[in-house]
Amino acid sequence: MSTASPVKTTAVSAEGVWKAYGTGEAQVVALRDVSVQFASGAFTAIMGPSGSGKSTLMHCLAGLDTTDRGTVHIGDTPVTGLSDKALTKLRRDKIGFIFQQFNLLPTLTAEENITLPAAIAGAKADPDWIKKIIHTLDLTDRLSHKPTELSGGQQQRVACARALASRPEVVFADEPTGNLDTRSGAEVLRFLRTSVDEFGQTIVMVTHDPSAAAYADRVVFLADGQIVEDMTEPTADKVIDKMKHFEELVAAAQEAAA
Amino acid sequence: MLRATLKGMASRKARLVLTSLAVVLGTMFVAAAMVLTATMEKSVSGVIADAFTGVDAVVTSAEDPAAAQGNTPSATLIPADVLDTVRGVDGVDTADGDVSGQVNAIGDDGKLVGAFAPTIGFNWNDQSTGYNEIRDGRGPQADDEVIVSAQFVTDAGLSIGDTVTAYSYSADRADYEIVGVFGLSGDRDSLAGETQMGFTTAEAQRLLTQGENAYMTIYVTGDAATGDIADAIGADYRVQTGEEASEEAAEGFAAVADIMGYIFLGFGLVAVFVSVFLIINTFTIIVAQRQRELALLRAIGAARGQVVGSVLAEAAVIGVIASIAGLGLGVLLGWGLSQLVSSSAMGGLPVELEVPPTSLWALAVGIGVTVLSAIIPAVRASGVPPVAAMREAVNPPKPLRGITIAGLAVTAVGGVLVALGLTDNLGDLGLTGFLTGVGIAFVGITLLTPILSRPLVALLGAVMSWSFSGRLGKLNAGRNPRRTAITASALMIAVALVTGIATIVSSFKETTAELADQNLDSDLIVMGQQGANIPTFAPETLAEIKALPDVSAVGDMYGEFFGAEVDGRQTALLASEDLPTSLGIFSGTVAEGSADLPDDGLAVNESAAADYGVELGDTVPVTFADGTEVPLRVSAILDDALLTDGWWVAPAQIEHFTVPKPMQAYIQVADGADVDAVQDQVDDILADEPEVSVTNNADFVEQQTSQLDILLNSVQILLALAIIIAIIGVVNTLVLSVLERTRELGLLRAIGMTRGQARRMITVESVIICLFGAVLGIAVGIGLGWTVQQALEEEGLTSFALPWDLIVTYLVAAVAVGLLAAIAPAARAAKLNVLNAIAYE
Repeated sequence: MSTASPVKTTAVSAEGVWKAYGTGEAQVVALRDVSVQFASGAFTAIMGPSGSGKSTLMHCLAGLDTTDRGTVHIGDTPVTGLSDKALTKLRRDKIGFIFQQFNLLPTLTAEENITLPAAIAGAKADPDWIKKIIHTLDLTDRLSHKPTELSGGQQQRVACARALASRPEVVFADEPTGNLDTRSGAEVLRFLRTSVDEFGQTIVMVTHDPSAAAYADRVVFLADGQIVEDMTEPTADKVIDKMKHFEELVAAAQEAAA
Repeated sequence: MLRATLKGMASRKARLVLTSLAVVLGTMFVAAAMVLTATMEKSVSGVIADAFTGVDAVVTSAEDPAAAQGNTPSATLIPADVLDTVRGVDGVDTADGDVSGQVNAIGDDGKLVGAFAPTIGFNWNDQSTGYNEIRDGRGPQADDEVIVSAQFVTDAGLSIGDTVTAYSYSADRADYEIVGVFGLSGDRDSLAGETQMGFTTAEAQRLLTQGENAYMTIYVTGDAATGDIADAIGADYRVQTGEEASEEAAEGFAAVADIMGYIFLGFGLVAVFVSVFLIINTFTIIVAQRQRELALLRAIGAARGQVVGSVLAEAAVIGVIASIAGLGLGVLLGWGLSQLVSSSAMGGLPVELEVPPTSLWALAVGIGVTVLSAIIPAVRASGVPPVAAMREAVNPPKPLRGITIAGLAVTAVGGVLVALGLTDNLGDLGLTGFLTGVGIAFVGITLLTPILSRPLVALLGAVMSWSFSGRLGKLNAGRNPRRTAITASALMIAVALVTGIATIVSSFKETTAELADQNLDSDLIVMGQQGANIPTFAPETLAEIKALPDVSAVGDMYGEFFGAEVDGRQTALLASEDLPTSLGIFSGTVAEGSADLPDDGLAVNESAAADYGVELGDTVPVTFADGTEVPLRVSAILDDALLTDGWWVAPAQIEHFTVPKPMQAYIQVADGADVDAVQDQVDDILADEPEVSVTNNADFVEQQTSQLDILLNSVQILLALAIIIAIIGVVNTLVLSVLERTRELGLLRAIGMTRGQARRMITVESVIICLFGAVLGIAVGIGLGWTVQQALEEEGLTSFALPWDLIVTYLVAAVAVGLLAAIAPAARAAKLNVLNAIAYE
């Protein structure tokens, strides 16, 4: 198992993480001894088939789920063992989220949704920064609209703006293009790419779409709760090629583990 | 299908229990009302039947007994020779004449015995011992001896060996030695709280029949036919069997229980009405929760009718269980209330529980209301398209136009009925029309609440928006206007009813205060508590008050309220020792003639004069209750004024009044004199007047309106009941909101909302819904109160006043209800597992 070259500082890291659901016969091990690091200012995709544990990994990394064993760090902050209050604060201040279902508050306008994390924190969002994101995402004339008045692509762009609004250390994106048509999906991915290149944002994205993964700097492949492959500078073809030979990868990983 | 329904219900126990509670409360009060009425009727008739045990026939005057109210005009008496005739009828074993009526007795404290319950004087004879049991001593053998009831001993603080002073309207005070104490059968002290004094027949007649040797009733034993007795004594008298008389007497006593019964029935019906909203809401929630399940059922082939049936079956099960529980609890409550009524108002009457077959109506009401309320959600449920099983549930808010138009129309219909009911256009149905109108208007306003919720929720929410979670709560409250509205409606109706009544009460108070202010030019008032009798005092006392150095003027009023006639029509007669002075104090003015009446003079206000068609100088025949008939001449026409309207006769005629004593005196204190000091002096003079006391104007107003406060307090119980139901409704709605917005809550928590903030958000939503209901209720209640006040303006309810203190109390209560209702749903929202919430589909 290889990890990315530690040229840059680490934004998120997992060390020997185990996670299982259920007990006895019904027990499903979602993560087996996963160790992985995500560099600052990089765009990483986590790929894998359904049930591979990629979403569980993301949830554990983001402090949404607890680990059974192992530790997780966001920057220098250990996530494991934090109280609910501390976790909430951590998510508020250091993490941004983008979901497949957009998850915007229907009662708030686009602009209010973007500044929501700041409002919850009782702080004022940096207006220049917000303006810049809104401009980049081409949302300027949609700000006073409610989510129901926006297209799916627009809604997801609002969600992106919200994730970046508080300049988090890392943005976790869970299948951000899963509910979008190809064109809207590409827009969102291009923005994520831009935010990494121009703003130095760290992004960890879970996806099963090879063309989405191609926007990333690096792809981590997960199968049966284990990291089975780590690819830098991916292209859609390289990813598809890898996935074609997935069964071999899994077998090799299991052999290595045994 | 039914099995699926039942299984589904088992998994939603908490919600069903809450909904059932509303139905239980409603049916409980309805059933309790019926049980109370029937139980009291049975218990009372049992006791009355006891009293008539062994009595085979009862003879009374054929005159309408209503004419005998307040005093005893000789027309309704049975002369002693009739008793002799009855005794001579074949088959009559015994016949006893009974004399009874109200007397006044002065207790140990110098005041009248029994402020509200009357003291009954009667002749103690052989018959008396059948029903009454002598506990101590013996019956009266001389005219200055008396036997008293055990209740009398308790109330008067006097017992065997003591001397008691008693008198009646027509007889002066006399002292009696208490020679015995009796109780009623069943070891009771009193029948209904009254006190009793048994005199010799001669003394009872002196007190109650103005000395005539006559009786009110004759009790007969023996097997003589009532027809034979009637034939013997003629058509002036009525002869009943003991049973008939017993039933008639029981009816009168049961009236008290009836009134209590109606009050509880009203409470029950309001609770049922409010429950309707709760049930509709609960089933809407259940249907929303089950949307996928219902869609799945439809997808695998269930017909629409089966879906409707499934929801209605659920409603029927709830209705049956809750109604049976309600009925059971209602029987218990009714029994408890009967005990309470018995011990507090009926002198410990033994209660015989009676569950009338009509109480099964409570079951029908409970089940019917539950099922009917579930129809709308059920039909809506059947509209769920099968494809919804595969999609995320989206419930777009429906447009409010239809419901608003319907609301306006229904409100208008209700308003028209209210107006008609209040303006006497419906004749005898006025009250029914008014109440129906109020009910319909409530339904109409309820339909309007969704459209009203938008601006009002925004306004109320603005106050709460100081924190971000508060702002989110406000937005959530405004999200589904129908749901917010229907939730708030339960509270609205309760608050509207209570505010309406409170507004009417405060308007009455204000009116009374203003009347006293504007019409009474006096500083002190001498009058008695309006109890069982009209309180009076001695004319000499009036003279003593007039003689006080710091008293500048005294207005006085004598009255004859029953049995007097002017020009052949029954009417009250008034008199004053000094009419010109009294008119001045009562703000009355003379239009024509002079108020200084000659002995055969008569003063009357303009409208009464017009009504009777008399003018100044006309002579009118006046008949007094004692039978005296004199022609009197109209020597003054008065301007219409609130306190001086009516027929005034000259002081010389006062001797013909049944009670030739003043009822009230209004004292003007000399300029610069100390009113309190004069009040003390008058108080000293009144030391020997048990029936009246002196008050200043403020206390007078307070006294006049104190009964209204009691009414208001009992109505607030209704509010408490409705509040319980309202809390359940708010809890239901909030739980649904939390469920529906699981994903949103998860997002908010994911991006950094603390548990505290989540709790606050739900709490603000709850408080806004409750405040909305309260504000709307207060507005509707004020409207209701204003309508009634306007309608009664001509009857003298001239002022409109708002019960500010209560309005503030209700608002504070609404906030408290909001906080209380939010506790569980907010905890649920705060405890939400973030991950599950986001993964929740």
